[in-house]
Amino acid sequence: MSAADFDLAVIGSGPAGLAAAALAASRGLSTVLLDEQPEAGGQIYRAITDTPVRDRRVLGPDYWRGAELLGPLRDSGAVHWPGSTVWSVARPRDEDAAAAAGTSERTLQIGLSRDGAASMLTVRHVLMATGALERPFPIPGWTLPGVLGAGAAQILLKTSGLAPSGRVALAGTGPLLWLLAWQYLRAGVALDVILDTTPRANWRAALPLLPGFLRSPYLGKGAKLLLDVRRKVKVVDNVTALRAVGEGQLAAVVYRRGDEEERSLAADTLLLHHGVVPNLNLANATGCAQQWDEGQRCWRPTTDDWGATSVEGVSLAGDGAGIGGAVAAEQAGRIAALDILRRLGRIDRAERDAAAIPHREGLERALRGRAFLDTLYRPSAAFRVPADDTIVCRCEEITAGAVREAVRLGCSGPNQAKSFLRCGMGPCQGRLCGPTVTEVIAAERGVSPAEVGYYRLRPPVKPITLAELAALPKTEADVNAVQKH
Amino acid sequence: MTQPNQGKANRGEDFDIVVVGGGLVGTALAWGLGQTGQKVAVLDEGDVAVRPSRGNFALVWLQGKGLGMPEYAGWTKAATDSWGGFAETLREQTGVDIAYRRPGGFMPALSDKDLEDRANAMMRLHNQPDMVRYPYEVMDRAALLKEMPFIGPEVVGGTYCPLDGHCNSLRLLRALHSGMERNGVAYRPNHRVERIDPKDDGFRLTTAGGEIRAGKVVLAAGHDSARLAPMVGLEAPVRPQRGHVIVTEKTAPFLRHPTGYVRQTDEGGVMIGDSFEEAGFDTTLQPGVSSAIAARAIRFFPLLAKLNVVRSWAALRVLSPDGFPIYEQSTIMPGAFVVTCHSGVTLASNHALVLAPLIAAGGLTDAFTVFSARRFHVPQAA
Repeated sequence: MSAADFDLAVIGSGPAGLAAAALAASRGLSTVLLDEQPEAGGQIYRAITDTPVRDRRVLGPDYWRGAELLGPLRDSGAVHWPGSTVWSVARPRDEDAAAAAGTSERTLQIGLSRDGAASMLTVRHVLMATGALERPFPIPGWTLPGVLGAGAAQILLKTSGLAPSGRVALAGTGPLLWLLAWQYLRAGVALDVILDTTPRANWRAALPLLPGFLRSPYLGKGAKLLLDVRRKVKVVDNVTALRAVGEGQLAAVVYRRGDEEERSLAADTLLLHHGVVPNLNLANATGCAQQWDEGQRCWRPTTDDWGATSVEGVSLAGDGAGIGGAVAAEQAGRIAALDILRRLGRIDRAERDAAAIPHREGLERALRGRAFLDTLYRPSAAFRVPADDTIVCRCEEITAGAVREAVRLGCSGPNQAKSFLRCGMGPCQGRLCGPTVTEVIAAERGVSPAEVGYYRLRPPVKPITLAELAALPKTEADVNAVQKH
Repeated sequence: MTQPNQGKANRGEDFDIVVVGGGLVGTALAWGLGQTGQKVAVLDEGDVAVRPSRGNFALVWLQGKGLGMPEYAGWTKAATDSWGGFAETLREQTGVDIAYRRPGGFMPALSDKDLEDRANAMMRLHNQPDMVRYPYEVMDRAALLKEMPFIGPEVVGGTYCPLDGHCNSLRLLRALHSGMERNGVAYRPNHRVERIDPKDDGFRLTTAGGEIRAGKVVLAAGHDSARLAPMVGLEAPVRPQRGHVIVTEKTAPFLRHPTGYVRQTDEGGVMIGDSFEEAGFDTTLQPGVSSAIAARAIRFFPLLAKLNVVRSWAALRVLSPDGFPIYEQSTIMPGAFVVTCHSGVTLASNHALVLAPLIAAGGLTDAFTVFSARRFHVPQAA
């Protein structure tokens, strides 16, 4: 008799989570799929079941592919709990777990919030499919109303069919920026300008990687999309400096092309984007080891070929383990699910390896050309490491200059800087400042971000109310811990 | 671009006094030592370390302390009395406002029995011979309501001491670092100390960041002092005791007074403690323990229920066997000192203003004998 509510909890219902949950459940694991949103799909397939954008040409075939993942999930018998926010994953004290189960079975406890009530869910294995976040793009004025991330704007389009009106500027680099421009054009939204910040030097660095890209499925689609957009929108290349100006509301975007004079463009909306990074907060707070990825210039949790992390019973798949895109995430989800089936004794190693072959081939295909894109669209240092007066931590309004001052006083990493400045202590838990703070400290110290490190996060990784927390079950040891001895 | 304070490899450096430990105890001492004009360095670990000074509750607290060692009550009272001046000195020197307030602190009680136990404990404390005198009151619910209008229906009363206060302990840490820099104190992160050897008239410290030589060495390394003290003929038998703390989102001011369990910070967030677990060096958060302190806090102040929790953590108190500080000078190597306590915030003023000048001048006075670790070797016959 198992003490676990489920064999497997999959956290996140994007492509990795959908594919993994369907495979694991269809092969007999009792599986629960948890996600914050009211519908499955993650960010990439957000609102796939109920988007008001019914004209399929607007969001494009890569979006609608997500619908194909829903049938297998339904048929698999996996339990889907949308509207569930996971705020903690931890191993219970050994003695508590043994007392509850009457066995020595190893379990994990998930702290969950559903419909305003917190609860603990006991499972044997956790697969985190937490996806990606937009890389923070800290320019002067990025906190002004009217400035937002291109990813956030795309979510508004998918969920509500909303698009900005008035004068719209897009700025930055990377595939998502172009995709959003293309989607807006299809939806009939007028765009004033695209300010392309892709550094000139990136082309030279990316060229040796071109052969891989030429064999990639991105090539045809990407080239057509770029041409489409460039035909219809004014594009300014080689933008090297950018700021948003306005009194309490965005009024203009000031930019510099190469080393020319600054120019100003009136704008009502500025959409910023320069790539995505793994959303690692939950893995970090669970204690999973992580590493600096120089190619993608971001931290990612350390995983083996099967998605297993350094924490027993915790696996990771999809963009949360390193950016690979939706199709790669789907395959990585299935590969991780097969390994979990083996770990929980449903299949042996040979069966796992054999079953993984088509998914590994699919993964390899999906990742072709990724190195080229990573190199070409790597944001320049000027946009990753802002000047002194630019705010890096929006929650606590901490500037890059304050971070540099802390380094001068002897802070060697972001955790010390957090103690000095409170940066990263706000409600966003460092999501909007972590990558920047690490890069600023690294640049100031003249060392690699790998040496500087990242925030150590703690649960709850998503805010819950004190009342929810207070209502959780408590063991005798928990209650004793608050009685003064 | 490399900063001098980032402690890159060096050929060895010489100081008059080296403080091992960059927490609140170490930096308060080093700040005070720097005021004397001696050449001082603080050796610290890196970005991730066992750091109780980053996890504390930020009370500057006297009430209830010293049962079993009245000298500790006297020492603590002196610290709370000098804290205001200390905070002002730091503010003038560094511009950092530590937000020290001394409105008096409460220990609210949820049952008559609880209140009676607290009142009795305060009486026993004050009945000790040689006990320092200070004002306190046992208040009923009606009296408490006048001071804290948002208490819950279960609160029956509480004890109150007008000398209790609180501060912003992260800003205290920052002010001490900033003040150290102004006092000429060298701060050396990534310098975990591996060995301490006597050398000539002083010490040679082998560290992760290179060799450091000093005439005097002060161990203020918290938990790590247990490892380091025997290297200089001292002992620091401290153990970790885990405590959970929760912080809520910022909210409108509702609580002027700090309490032992709940306090509203100058920035508007509410800090909620505290718990006591013997769990070694494991700082994993236990959701059940967080839940228990959350539930108790809501019984004290029901309006907290709707607030979002934005952060929580578990930190490790540095506890000696009887819970009191250890202050000691080595007899076999008189240039070595150990300083350890679990009230690094409250005692910061004493460490900076009283202890540091004594260490700089040569040694501890007889008044500190009571704080020696020799008290843990009471002869069997005594």
